[in-house]
Amino acid sequence: MTEFSDHASGPIPAVPYADPVGDPFLRARFALPARPVSFLRRQRLIDHLDQALRTPLTVVNGAAGAGKTVLTADWAAGLRQPVAWLTAEAGTLRPGVFWAYVLQAMRACDGSLSDAVVAPADADRVDRGLLATLAAELNDRDRPLVLVLDEYDRVTAPDVAEQLEFVLHHAGRGLHLVLVTRTEPLLPLHRYRAAGELTEIRAAELAFTPEETVALLELHGLSLPVRAACALVDRTRGWAAGLRLSALAALDSADPELYLKEFEADRSTVADFLLAEVLKGQPEETQDLLLRVSVLERFCPDLANALTLRTDAEPILAALHRDNAFVEPLGHSWYQLHPLFGEILRAHLRQRLPGLEPELHLRAARWLRRSGFLPETLAHAAAAGDWDFAAGALVDDLAIGQLFTSLRSGDLTQMFSHMGPEARSPASDLVRAARNLSGYDLERGMTRLRHAEKRLADDTPDLAAAQLSCALLEALAGRLTGCPLLAEKAAEAADGLVHEVPAHLLDKHPELTALLLTHLGSARLWAGHFEDARAALTTAAGAPGGASTVLPRQDSMEHLALLDYLDGWLGRAERKALAAVSQAERDGVPQPSGSGIGQLVLAAVAVDRHELGRARALLDEAPLPPGAHDPVSAAGRALVTARLLLVRGKAGAAAEATDPAVSTAVASPWATSRAALVVSAAHLAEGRPDQAAEELQGVSGDQPVCVAEAAAIQLGAGFTGAAIDLLDGIRSGGRSGPAVTVRAALVRAQAAERAGDTATARRLVEQALLDARRERLRRPFLDAGAWIRPLLATPPLDELAAGWLTPGPPRRDEQPQQAPPPPPLVAVELSGRERDVLERLARMMSTEEIAADMYVSANTVKTHLKSVYRKLAVNRRGDAVRRARDQRLL
Amino acid sequence: MRYEIRVEGHLSETLAKAFPELGHVVMSGQTVLFGPVVDEAHLYGLLARCQSLGLRVMEMRQLPE
Repeated sequence: MTEFSDHASGPIPAVPYADPVGDPFLRARFALPARPVSFLRRQRLIDHLDQALRTPLTVVNGAAGAGKTVLTADWAAGLRQPVAWLTAEAGTLRPGVFWAYVLQAMRACDGSLSDAVVAPADADRVDRGLLATLAAELNDRDRPLVLVLDEYDRVTAPDVAEQLEFVLHHAGRGLHLVLVTRTEPLLPLHRYRAAGELTEIRAAELAFTPEETVALLELHGLSLPVRAACALVDRTRGWAAGLRLSALAALDSADPELYLKEFEADRSTVADFLLAEVLKGQPEETQDLLLRVSVLERFCPDLANALTLRTDAEPILAALHRDNAFVEPLGHSWYQLHPLFGEILRAHLRQRLPGLEPELHLRAARWLRRSGFLPETLAHAAAAGDWDFAAGALVDDLAIGQLFTSLRSGDLTQMFSHMGPEARSPASDLVRAARNLSGYDLERGMTRLRHAEKRLADDTPDLAAAQLSCALLEALAGRLTGCPLLAEKAAEAADGLVHEVPAHLLDKHPELTALLLTHLGSARLWAGHFEDARAALTTAAGAPGGASTVLPRQDSMEHLALLDYLDGWLGRAERKALAAVSQAERDGVPQPSGSGIGQLVLAAVAVDRHELGRARALLDEAPLPPGAHDPVSAAGRALVTARLLLVRGKAGAAAEATDPAVSTAVASPWATSRAALVVSAAHLAEGRPDQAAEELQGVSGDQPVCVAEAAAIQLGAGFTGAAIDLLDGIRSGGRSGPAVTVRAALVRAQAAERAGDTATARRLVEQALLDARRERLRRPFLDAGAWIRPLLATPPLDELAAGWLTPGPPRRDEQPQQAPPPPPLVAVELSGRERDVLERLARMMSTEEIAADMYVSANTVKTHLKSVYRKLAVNRRGDAVRRARDQRLL
Repeated sequence: MRYEIRVEGHLSETLAKAFPELGHVVMSGQTVLFGPVVDEAHLYGLLARCQSLGLRVMEMRQLPE
């Protein structure tokens, strides 16, 4: 394991790999499209577009080939303001992905966006806080930003329009949004129009006038009288693409003017007819190339060669570009087909070369894989239906972890859900196993994993990447089945493999290492190997930042919080759990998410502090379904639920609730011990001391917190000697926290009290109070019984207990829930943000309103509210405001 | 549901293949595409397909069963 963790903490670049601008595919999306050689600048449209700088929203709306994009690009290129350009990709752009790209476009344009605006990590959702922060930053700008979203019609998610409007509304004068689209956007345009806040350029205005047509044709080297141009405009309705094509077709013919006359008389659909004409005029090789590249979004000469199986793409593409026919340059010798032509060319491809499409996709996938473009490789391999190839590309790139984390996990999972049974390679089996395991389908996942492993062992070629992917899945299986041995073996195997795979792949996919270590740590924690677990989890929590590692980082941090809790350090556990949540929230993951262990730790801490309402709320909030089969979180949930029932006096229900209902390979010492404690305490509460003592046999000596609690129960059952023996047996390894020392001191104090040694008892209680006060650890005192009451009422102990523990200690015969609630704490300093929240609370604002007003997420407000409640020792808004007024905090 | 979609101009046989699920007939400067439409999603899909092929939709109506 050491080597593996050494590597993980080694020199991995601090900036995550996801640098979208480094990829030519993506670079093209943020670049201002080039204007064609024969571009005609139309001043009337530029003048109209200049009004965009006076309105928040601008819509350029027209059919395909109406010249929207070139017009907007030409206008934007002449602006002095910073312009962020984003061309939407084909297919469904989900909110998380959309905003990640918008932020990237803004960063690429002038870099004034601060690091506080973090790209979302979930493809489907965007945190409102992120949008609010973004809007606030835009609002603060001196120079407004022009954001152009080209091909906005491709953005199909309805949430995006609503989110765009939110940002636009709150960004004030800092943002001018320009939507270039074929279809009416879902924003409430009528409202903007009525308020005079909308600049609109629609199809009628984009259409060429006869004079403009004459000028355009001149650029193509054709001179035409205005009268003839009128007829052409009639025929094409001033449609830019139609005019361009007719110019090209006319140039190919012997008598251009006559040709145009014939075209006017013809009654075919314009684009269809013209494109076929222009295509016909091209040499055979050019036609073939155009048809074949129509399956691609973007291409370079080499990629085109891979599809034609020739070597002449470079001169052909250069010539097409020079003639301004079909292709548009994207820079760095990448091109794209005009979307309209691409669509029609595909129709021609299907007719002329039927059945070739899958083969072309596969050739494209092969080329893209060789050149290192994984997402495009996967898309084309999927389009070709070659799942073995797709799975192989994913596994060889060490990207299998992306099925569990990262922005693309949803897309990937959905893509591979179309994989049929015909895919039989080991890599395909690995992908299937990963999908099963991520859906907690252990049985099928394990079968497929074993199957893949066997096949990998049989084959001999270069398989390090596949084996490393295997190790990741094994570690996950080890975690889910509660089998540390499996996880350890996987980690060991990974150790040996990391040197066999290319280092740059590991750097590119930090999530692989982070996930593996998290699973290993979780399995170790389950088995009670706390120190080893802490080592693995600490490394995972410190994994390089970025969207791909958000989930494993949060997961491992929450496990670390649980470790602290199990060792008896309430305050530390609480801080870590809160830090995990707030870090993930800052990284754009809506909360609560993941295994929910963080919430469970907070709930457990609340039970120990006797904040029962808060514990119940946290328990209800913790996400149930995803973590349901994870032994650690299932056991955690069962135990917190049981303890809560116990302190509410429902002993029988508590004993029943201890069973987490998951089957695991090995028993967990802490889970078993804690379950035994609850059952034993239930026996004691129902008056069966002997059975209670018997149950304590199940408590492991390795868990100091549990042993101390067991001693308290023994004492309660009347076995003083056994209690003291238990305490003497606690190995003080220095890791035990206040939960151990406070309990132990109270047990010894009670024993001393029974022996009549009040002075010792007083000294021990004093020590317990000092230890417990900082952590607000109330449970041991409430459990202790009546004997402690007179002690707490006398100086100097009364002062130590005052303010956080009840002034009058609870009586033994009382049910805990009837115990008086802890009195208000001494006024605790509220933090600045908490005070802000409280002030808004006093103005009767809702959580959402406060969130919007403070530019933070609703969850952050809730977190602040919770700590305000805690500090003021109240449970409701009204009480919080009242108490704050009483204490002159408002 | 059966629909007919009237687009401007004579559609070539090649482009008509972009609507394999529909029949087509060319008449007086227009092409009529007709046939069964599964649901609304299909209907909007057909409209989008017309748009991305640069076709101009003149009329679209549901046919009596």
